[in-house]
Amino acid sequence: MRHYEIVLLVHPDQSAQVPSMVEKYKSIIEKSKGRVHRFEDWGRRQLAYSINKVHKAHYLLFNIECDAPTLEELEHNFRYNDAVIRNMIIRRSTAITEPSPMLKENPEASMRSRGRSAGDDSYVDDDLTVEE
Amino acid sequence: MTSYNKRKKVCPFKSGKRVIDYKNTRLLRDFITESGRIVPSRITGVSAKFQRQLVIEIARARILGLLPFCDSHD
Repeated sequence: MRHYEIVLLVHPDQSAQVPSMVEKYKSIIEKSKGRVHRFEDWGRRQLAYSINKVHKAHYLLFNIECDAPTLEELEHNFRYNDAVIRNMIIRRSTAITEPSPMLKENPEASMRSRGRSAGDDSYVDDDLTVEE
Repeated sequence: MTSYNKRKKVCPFKSGKRVIDYKNTRLLRDFITESGRIVPSRITGVSAKFQRQLVIEIARARILGLLPFCDSHD
């Protein structure tokens, strides 16, 4: 089992799907006795340049521990999921659990990450207000 | 001799307080120009070891759309 860090960029129009996508990926990892050490939802952020003609993306960060077949399955999922506009997987040597610098400078995003377990509905509403 | 007045540049990462990470875009922005180019270490005083790390993390941030490649996108 190795440690990986995954960043996903989700299409802003598909932001509402994010909670179900996250659950799906978590279940893939946990199915094969992998672990999610850190999960962060950075929300919708402005892109530094447009990707596939979109200017904003919903960012997700995972720090996971899993085996190679599981990672392959995840990669396959990212590739054939149209909502994922970009993904990056990095190998890490240890499990990273403390909040990332991104979350420290934007406390609003951290509230959303933690609020997610409390209720997914409020999370979606929150996202819609950001759009306005 | 002019070199006597020149203050020696100190690498900002040698103290170990600041970790170079693609997620820390606020830190990385100090090492790119207004047009998005990576500032040479001879200007910033970053040591070769940390400049190599810096380049990798800036590249990662660029791939994820956190930092620009240049100032004339689209």
